[in-house]
Amino acid sequence: MTRVRVTAPATAARATQESREAALESDVGQVFVRSLIRSQLRLALVVAFGFLLILAAFPLLLATVPGLAEARIAGIPFAWLLLGAGIYPVIGLSAWLYIRTAARNEARYRDLAGDQ
Amino acid sequence: MNPGVAITALAVVSVATAVIGFYGLRISRTTGDFYVASRTVRPWWNASAIGGEYLSAASFLGVAGLILLSGTDALWFPVGYTAGYLMLLLFVAAPLRRSGAYTIPDFTEARLDSRAVRKVTSLVVVLVGWLYIVPQLQGAALTIRITTGLPSWVGSVAVVVVVCLTVVAGGMRSITFVQAFQYWLKLTALAVPVLFIVFMLAGSGTPELSPPAVNPTGAPPAGLYQGVSLMVALLFGTLGLPHVLVRFYTNPDGQSARRTTLIVLGLLSVFYLFPTACGLVARMFAPDLARSGQADAVVLLLPGKLVGGTAGELLSALVVAGAFAAFLSTTSGLVVSLAGVISQDVLGAGVNGFRLAAVVSAVVPLGFAFLTDSFTLAGSVGLVFAFTASTVCPVLLLGIWWRGLTDAGAIAGMVTGGLLCGGAMITSAVAGAGNTPGWLAQPAAWSVPAAFAVMVVVSLATAGRVPQTMARVMTRLHTPERPLATER
Repeated sequence: MTRVRVTAPATAARATQESREAALESDVGQVFVRSLIRSQLRLALVVAFGFLLILAAFPLLLATVPGLAEARIAGIPFAWLLLGAGIYPVIGLSAWLYIRTAARNEARYRDLAGDQ
Repeated sequence: MNPGVAITALAVVSVATAVIGFYGLRISRTTGDFYVASRTVRPWWNASAIGGEYLSAASFLGVAGLILLSGTDALWFPVGYTAGYLMLLLFVAAPLRRSGAYTIPDFTEARLDSRAVRKVTSLVVVLVGWLYIVPQLQGAALTIRITTGLPSWVGSVAVVVVVCLTVVAGGMRSITFVQAFQYWLKLTALAVPVLFIVFMLAGSGTPELSPPAVNPTGAPPAGLYQGVSLMVALLFGTLGLPHVLVRFYTNPDGQSARRTTLIVLGLLSVFYLFPTACGLVARMFAPDLARSGQADAVVLLLPGKLVGGTAGELLSALVVAGAFAAFLSTTSGLVVSLAGVISQDVLGAGVNGFRLAAVVSAVVPLGFAFLTDSFTLAGSVGLVFAFTASTVCPVLLLGIWWRGLTDAGAIAGMVTGGLLCGGAMITSAVAGAGNTPGWLAQPAAWSVPAAFAVMVVVSLATAGRVPQTMARVMTRLHTPERPLATER
C-alpha cells in the first residue's frame, strides 16, 4: 500500500497564509508576534489564577463562617448548593471574559500587523 | 429490574448509534473526511459532540456513586472535570487549532521538528487512550450485570463491537453526529429521572429521612493533599486527552475553537447538576445502596428503588440507555483518535490502515478490562487524568507558550512524568487500596511538577537544539487567521 500524506487541500487561502507567515519573519513582524503571545499568556494566567483563588475561597468560606455549611435553602444544605451548583457560573463567566479579551488582543495585533 | 426492559433500551441505543453512523457514511469519502470531518462542523454540533464524547462512564455513573460514598468531598470531581475545560480554553484551544495538525503527535513533530518526539508522543497518547477505554468497558460490564443478570463480559464486548462497526464504517464525520446525539441522550436520561424523583419527593412531603452529612460507609474523609492532588490531575489532565484535542481540529478557525469551548462549558455545567442531585438524593433517601458495594450503579438502581412500578421500570430503561450512550461515545471518540495516531505512525495513512488501526485500538483494552477488576469508576478515571497531566500536558503547554522547548527536553519530561506517574499507579495497584499511602494513590501533585521541571531544565541544557522553524511555528500558533472574506 502506498503512503498518503493527509493534508487539507492546497487552496488559495493556504497560499496567502504561507506568504503571510513568511512576511512575519521580518524583525518588525516578530516584535508584534512576541507582544501578542505575551499579552495572550498574561491574560490566560490572570484568568486561571483568579478562578483558582475563587475556587479555593469556597471551601475556606464554608470552613470559617460558623453555621454556613449546615444552613439549608429549600431543604438543601448550603455547602451542596455552593460546591454542586455555585461554581459553574464562575467557570462560565471566566471563560466569557477570557474569550472577549483574547479576541480584542488579536484585533489589536491585526491592526498593527496590517499597517506594515 | 426487568432484564427485558434493560436489553431493549440497550438495543435501541446501539441501533440508533449504528444508523446515525451509516447516515454519516454517505458524506465521508476521502481520507481527510475520515480523520476530522474536513473541519466543517458547526460550533453547536461540535460542542454537543465534544460534550457527548467527554461525559464518560465516570461522569454518568461514577460521579453520583462517589458522591453517595463520600459526600461533599466528591463534589470536586464534577467541578474538576468542568474546570479542566476552562484550562483547555485558556491555554490550548485556539493555538492548537491554528497549528493545523491532526493529532497530538502531529503537533509535537511540527513544533519541535523531530521524528523522535513524534514517536514518544504517539506511544504516550496510545497508552492514555487505552487506559481511558478500560474503565468505560468496566462500566458497561457493571451495567449489564446489574440490570440484566447476564455475565459481565457481554457488556464490554457489546460496546467494542458497536464502536468498531461505527468507526470502521464512517470515521469522524459520522462520529460527530453520533456524539452530538449522545450528549442530548445522556442529558435527558439523567435529567428526566432525577427531576421526576425530586418532584415526587417534594410533592409527597416526605420528612427528612437521614441528613446528607451521614457517612454511609464510615470511611474516613479524604485529606487536603488528596483534594489538591486530584484537582491538579483534573485541571491539567483534561487538556492532554487525545479524544478531546482531536475535536478542536474540526473547528474552522481559532476563534471558533474558543466559542465552541464556551458552549461546551455550558453543556457540561448543566449536565453535572444531575449526577450531583442524584448523589445527594441517594445519600438522603437510599444510603443503603452504598453499603452493598453497588455505589457505582446508584444512578441505575435509584429509579427502581424510589419510584417503583411501571414508571420506575421506564425511568430505569432510560437511565440504562443513557449509560450505554456514555460508554459508546467516549470509547468511540478514543478509538477514533487512537486509530488516527496508530494508522499514521505504523500502518500507513490510507482509509484501510485507519480501519485496521481502529479495530486494534478497541480490542487491546478489552483484554485489559477482562484481566483487571473495576474499583470505583470516578477514581480510576482520575488516575488516567493524572497520567495525562504528567505527560501530554507539559509538552503541550510548554510547546505552545515557551520558545525555549527542545526535542530532548520534551522527551525527557514525558518519559519522567510517565515513569513517575505510571510507577505510582502500578505500585498502588499491586499493593492494594488499603495499603497505599495517599501520596502514592494520587500522584499528580508531585509527578506533574516533576515532568515540567525536567522538561524545562533539559531544554535549557540543550538550548542549541531549538529548531530553526520555531519562530515560524510560534507565529502560526498565535496569530489570528485572516477573515475569510478578505482571503479570496
